[in-house]
Amino acid sequence: MNLTHIASCLLTLCIVKAFAEDPAAQFEREVRPLLKQHCFECHGPDKQKGGLRLDQKEALLHGGDSEEPAILPGKSGASLLIKRTLSHDADDVMPPKGKRLEPAEIASLQTWIDAGAHWPASGNAELPGAPARGMTVTDHDRQFWAFQAPRTTDPVYEGTWPRQKLDYFVGARLREHGLEPTGETSRNAFIRRVTFDITGLPPTPDEVDHFLNDKSSNAHERVVERLLGSPQFGERMASMWLPLARFGEDQAHQVGDDTKFFYPNAHLYRAWVIDAFNRDLPYDQFLKLQLAADRIPGTAPADQAALGFLGLGPKYYNRNQLEVMADEWEDRVDTVTRTMLGLTVACARCHDHKFDPITTADYHALAGVFASTQMVNKTLGGLVEKENVKAEEMQPDTMHIVQEGEVQNLNVFIRGNVTRKGALIPRRFIEVLGGETSFADGSGRRELAEAIASRANPLTARVIVNRIWAQFFAQPLVSTPSNFGHSGALPSNRELLDDLAVRFMEHGWSIKSLVREIALSSTYRQGSGAPPVVTAADPSNEWLGRMNRRRLTVEQWRDAVLAVSGELADAPGAKSRDLDEATNRLRTVYARISRLKLNDILMQFDYPDANVHAEKRSVTTTPMQKLFVLNSPFIQRYAGTLAARLQGTAEMDTDRVTAAYLLLFSREPDVEERDLALRFLLKPNTAEMTQWERYAQLLLASNEMLYVD
Amino acid sequence: MWTDSSSFRGASPLMNRRQMLHKMCAGFGMLGLAGVLGPGSLLGASHLPHFAPKAKRLVFLFMNGGPSHIDTFDPKPALAKYAGQQPDGELYKKSKGTGYMPSPFAFAKHGGSGIEVSETLPNLAKMIDDCCIIRSMHTDVPNHEPALLQMHTGNLQPVRPSLGSWLLYGLGTINQNLPGYIVLRPSSKIVVGPALWSNSFLPAEYQAASVLTSDMSVDKLLANIHNPRQNEAQQREQLDLLNQLNRHHLAQRDGDPELEGQIRAMETAFHMQREAMETFDISREPASVREAYGDTPFARSCLLARRLLEGGVRVVSVYYTSADNQPWDTHADHNARHPKLCADGDRAAGALIADLKQRGLLEDTLVVWGGEFGRTPYAESKDEKKAGRDHHHTGFSMLLAGGGVRGGTVYGATDEFGMKATENPVHVHDLHATILHLLGLDHEKLTYRYAGRDFRLTDVFGKVVRDIIA
Repeated sequence: MNLTHIASCLLTLCIVKAFAEDPAAQFEREVRPLLKQHCFECHGPDKQKGGLRLDQKEALLHGGDSEEPAILPGKSGASLLIKRTLSHDADDVMPPKGKRLEPAEIASLQTWIDAGAHWPASGNAELPGAPARGMTVTDHDRQFWAFQAPRTTDPVYEGTWPRQKLDYFVGARLREHGLEPTGETSRNAFIRRVTFDITGLPPTPDEVDHFLNDKSSNAHERVVERLLGSPQFGERMASMWLPLARFGEDQAHQVGDDTKFFYPNAHLYRAWVIDAFNRDLPYDQFLKLQLAADRIPGTAPADQAALGFLGLGPKYYNRNQLEVMADEWEDRVDTVTRTMLGLTVACARCHDHKFDPITTADYHALAGVFASTQMVNKTLGGLVEKENVKAEEMQPDTMHIVQEGEVQNLNVFIRGNVTRKGALIPRRFIEVLGGETSFADGSGRRELAEAIASRANPLTARVIVNRIWAQFFAQPLVSTPSNFGHSGALPSNRELLDDLAVRFMEHGWSIKSLVREIALSSTYRQGSGAPPVVTAADPSNEWLGRMNRRRLTVEQWRDAVLAVSGELADAPGAKSRDLDEATNRLRTVYARISRLKLNDILMQFDYPDANVHAEKRSVTTTPMQKLFVLNSPFIQRYAGTLAARLQGTAEMDTDRVTAAYLLLFSREPDVEERDLALRFLLKPNTAEMTQWERYAQLLLASNEMLYVD
Repeated sequence: MWTDSSSFRGASPLMNRRQMLHKMCAGFGMLGLAGVLGPGSLLGASHLPHFAPKAKRLVFLFMNGGPSHIDTFDPKPALAKYAGQQPDGELYKKSKGTGYMPSPFAFAKHGGSGIEVSETLPNLAKMIDDCCIIRSMHTDVPNHEPALLQMHTGNLQPVRPSLGSWLLYGLGTINQNLPGYIVLRPSSKIVVGPALWSNSFLPAEYQAASVLTSDMSVDKLLANIHNPRQNEAQQREQLDLLNQLNRHHLAQRDGDPELEGQIRAMETAFHMQREAMETFDISREPASVREAYGDTPFARSCLLARRLLEGGVRVVSVYYTSADNQPWDTHADHNARHPKLCADGDRAAGALIADLKQRGLLEDTLVVWGGEFGRTPYAESKDEKKAGRDHHHTGFSMLLAGGGVRGGTVYGATDEFGMKATENPVHVHDLHATILHLLGLDHEKLTYRYAGRDFRLTDVFGKVVRDIIA
């Protein structure tokens, strides 16, 4: 971008000075504008199609990927630039797509080349083919909202609606648009919603009953405290975190039967994550341990498992070759920056970021940290397994983590090509986020962790607050949760996001405090069925004048089926089991996650690919999902156990139907629902399934089972 | 619902339409959406291509392991003359064998076009006037894993969206009662594995349905395709109550279109059971047709592929695998193994092309036959009797038929020994660009924004091979 600016400034200067007709003047008057108009878009600072850029003399002399010079000074006839502009082959001629140069324009180029291809020194500030130097971070760049520190504010909202500070922001925003919030949802709907959101499970009928009969003024608080204190909270939060960390237990492909790159004990990392959320480990610590537990003095040995965030990364085919390792480092940079900073830094591997002030140098400064870090299989006792030990032969307490490697800085790989080395870049943090000083402590992971998990970092708190918000409102405030950059979305309510982020840091980075405020807010307690005036004014619910109805994730839905059937096994810290195992009654968070072949159930119900960081889940509705719900062994099994359970609750079908609704939907059936059920149950049945099994199955297949209001 | 709006930032009208769709439907998958609106509605099931397509469907017959080009479609008489001489020039691996090894198979001219085809492929030879042979294919690496990934996803490392997923993303499904992209493979063992047909970061609705064809009974082919404990009428009765309850639930929620979509998807699934049971059932084919294809795992898969294409499946891949996960990888005993593989692969492929043609489907169905690379024109080992051919990536052949391809043509050439594509080289990226083009998609415009940048099947490469387009 800046280069274009320089070029246009120079051009202006030249015109004003009205050079005499010497080579320099001819270049500025005719050639540069012509190149700029017709060529730079594809062969300039932003794009270098075919590896070629035409805005630097050295690059012209070097040529593109073909390495044939674009110009031979003094020899226009032999110069590729001229040949291509004159070509009659539609696929060959430049500029492409019929935008042929005028003969006079080609003549100008010929004149310029024949006269020695003059290029003013001031226009040649760039290193040849090193786009890394094309961009410098400016104050203007730093003005972008996401690079500014978040600030706390005090919005004004007259009235009794707000219960939490966040409600003032939402209420004020609604009033700006002449709207009022939707009324409070029923207690039945609230307890179902908040239980699914905090624990990923439906409330039991007893829990519902207790809440409905709790007449104290703090009944809601008591429910939320109970849920936050339950071990299922960590399991639910891990379902949010693990796909960000592209958690997987093997590799995308396997050579022969070789398992040496597999991660049989990946569950140790998952258990650490679950436990960290349950003990409300401050989020800044949570991040630091995952990046640098081995470099932080005083870290408990059990916390080494946190390094699985890096250590479970993909290992690629032919690893240890430089180009393959460069791909692995890209995975680490990508996963760390998108997960923790909401920035897409890996874009800058081959060229400066097209949208954000992130340079190729920034990328390589971070990649150098991971180039100085080793993936390692290490036991709790510190024993390091050899690289070629098969998964089956690893010690049972082997963690898949990282340790310090040979410390090195990387040269810029020009256009991502490891054989073309540019400037040597010291390891450091991203410049626009204050990364001026080089890392000096080994690989630099500790310094990187501190730069990320820092109150001074404008992104870290905002990014996690936004993710937690999405978990409770089924819609984040920034709709691109892993991209807070220019190509991402702006926050729908920046003041709200910022205020939450600041207070999150002030409250010791406590996830539980944040969840508490959200779950107890009036905003969260709204009904999902808003008056038409609200839905018409704000169809996408950007101003939060109602609750979003949301589909359960695959984890929540499967867990709910197991829970209501009375079959859910309680197994904290469990090893992974395949979801296709008929007897697997563990929560879905303990499902084996394969990069090689993701389980069909997970895949069909939108669990993301485990090979890369997953910003969010797609929400698809397909007949294949419904076939699963209609016919699968899974559904038949649990329709059977649910039917038996319901039949065991009472003698009369009418009471059993009530029990079913309380169990599955946290409410009693209405008259129509009861009548329909009883009529169905009385019908003569010819199927092999019992009538109660058929009824139980259709309840499990229903929309009410799949959605939360 | 919170939708994936960032995915649809392309600039074409196609994308704007999608964006609109996505806004309207707030999170529905296209397939589900098609179910919601039904065929013939304003939006329909399939998306508009970038320009008028030549082909509507693709079937990729994939010869795992890499078939030898000089024993199939690229005759090299010079090899006989120089037999035993060591290859010169730049080799990926030093030759350790007995030098150039001529094909023992006779080549003859076939059809009106007179294209030379090996005697091991008599059935494809019969259809040669409908085929275009690219003799100048090349790929980046002569190792199975990266070459397989490159041929399927354009990228040497996993995991990127596959060609089939890109096509489905660009074009949508034709028949919403069947999956839009189906992978048929006779054995579960396959090198690289599901990364070959991954949707990767493309939304889940563009994923392939992978079908093991070792057992052709329909309920073995498709998971969950029928309920073993209820018949259709009984299930209908059950679904009628479910429908009433879902409608009751919906009425209390202002007719939320997303809930409505779930109801329609359930109905589609119900109807899909019958349609899929029929479409996937090759026993409904007359004996003469089954006989024409042959009775091998690959042949049965090819016949199933035809039924699927006919039923409106957009993309079908058939893998030639067996207990050996890459049968065409003839490192040893090549001269004995190659004709056996051909006998099977040729008969079924030839029958498929003829069958499609006879049904009027060939003109808008693109058939591709080939592997991840070719094989060396020189022997791999010193043992002359059991000599094999090694992996070869700098020149190999690919067959394309139907779907707007100029039949009866040969495009490009390798040097006189079949070592290197010399005339009109076609890289895998170029092949991908051409396949997308034939299906009406501009490979430079078919982008998906992910992790902050716009991805393409062809990355920053690819050139449409216009000369092979009719």
